[in-house]
Amino acid sequence: MKKPILPLMYTFCLLVVGMLLAATPANNTGYQVGDKARDFKLKNVDGKMLSMADYKDAKGFIVTFTCNTCPYSVAYEDRIIALHNKYAPKGYPVIAINPNDVTASPKDSYADMQQRAKDKKFPFAYLYDETQEITRAYGATRTPHLYIVQKQKDNTYKVAYIGTIDDNSRDASKVEKKYAEAALDELVANKAVSQPNTKAIGCTIKWREA
Amino acid sequence: MKLYQPFRIAFIVAVLSLAGFTAQAQSVNVIKFDELQKLRNSPTDTLYVVNFWATWCGPCIKEMPYFEAINQQYKGQPVRVILVSMDAAEDLQKVKTFMQRRKIASDVWLLDETDANAWIDKLEPKWSGAIPATMLFNNKRKQYNFVEKELKEDELQALVKQFKP
Repeated sequence: MKKPILPLMYTFCLLVVGMLLAATPANNTGYQVGDKARDFKLKNVDGKMLSMADYKDAKGFIVTFTCNTCPYSVAYEDRIIALHNKYAPKGYPVIAINPNDVTASPKDSYADMQQRAKDKKFPFAYLYDETQEITRAYGATRTPHLYIVQKQKDNTYKVAYIGTIDDNSRDASKVEKKYAEAALDELVANKAVSQPNTKAIGCTIKWREA
Repeated sequence: MKLYQPFRIAFIVAVLSLAGFTAQAQSVNVIKFDELQKLRNSPTDTLYVVNFWATWCGPCIKEMPYFEAINQQYKGQPVRVILVSMDAAEDLQKVKTFMQRRKIASDVWLLDETDANAWIDKLEPKWSGAIPATMLFNNKRKQYNFVEKELKEDELQALVKQFKP
């Protein structure tokens, strides 16, 4: 009588694993380099709603999914500020977006974002993706996660770069490869981005529990 | 209450140091990527459960007891749990302290590589780099699975049961 249980158990396990995998936020459902990126309308730390379309003179954007709590995000804060200060005058400002659900990560609340932006004197917009809709659409999985988009003639936005800022999250003084800057320099010079995809270890995005 | 404060501190210090002494002698194996790749290609009939974590990663710490449970549960069986820390090599002592305090019994490695872009795709192109992430494989049986998310206890149990030799 015992024997039929084993295949049943096995089937059950397979089913459970299958269900788990189906529930996993897939990595490949978001944007790839070359895709059109949608605009958004999200609340900035100054209380106003903001879209990419509001920047009339921008040639593109450094859309940066980042947050208050992730140590990697914190380690990169000064470098994100530096990126903005260097590339906003060249037409590529940073738009930071906090993708984390506040129930899953209480310190990533809107009030905490406002405080952080004030403390660090963020020179860029810091938006709250409360419904996580934009984060899902872009396919961001970690913080910080950069999507550099280039404005097209028809006012759409094309993804030109997805990845990380540089090759050393812990120590800015030991950075050898500035991946994002290299991509931005090429974009500013109207060249194709030679390394449009890079990866880094980062904090997983805190998704709202279903 | 004030009178007892020094006693309380002494007590806490005593408990902490005792805990330090009784914790399993644990060392962190600091590795380069080639060693991780060697493990990934290991031909033995062993189910490797490799979890990528860091001391600064909240969800990683939350799921760690489930990996410890697997390590305990399959003792003496060809199932090996390895917790690969993404902490920087400079933070080795932080990792050691963490392990002692939590009495971590699973093998702990620390991957001493700064540029993740140079190795992630060689290990698993599907991995975006977010942690926690977990890899299960038994190369002898051609079994492989990769999950980039925080696992619940029953989820990890099911993943291991699916493959265990």
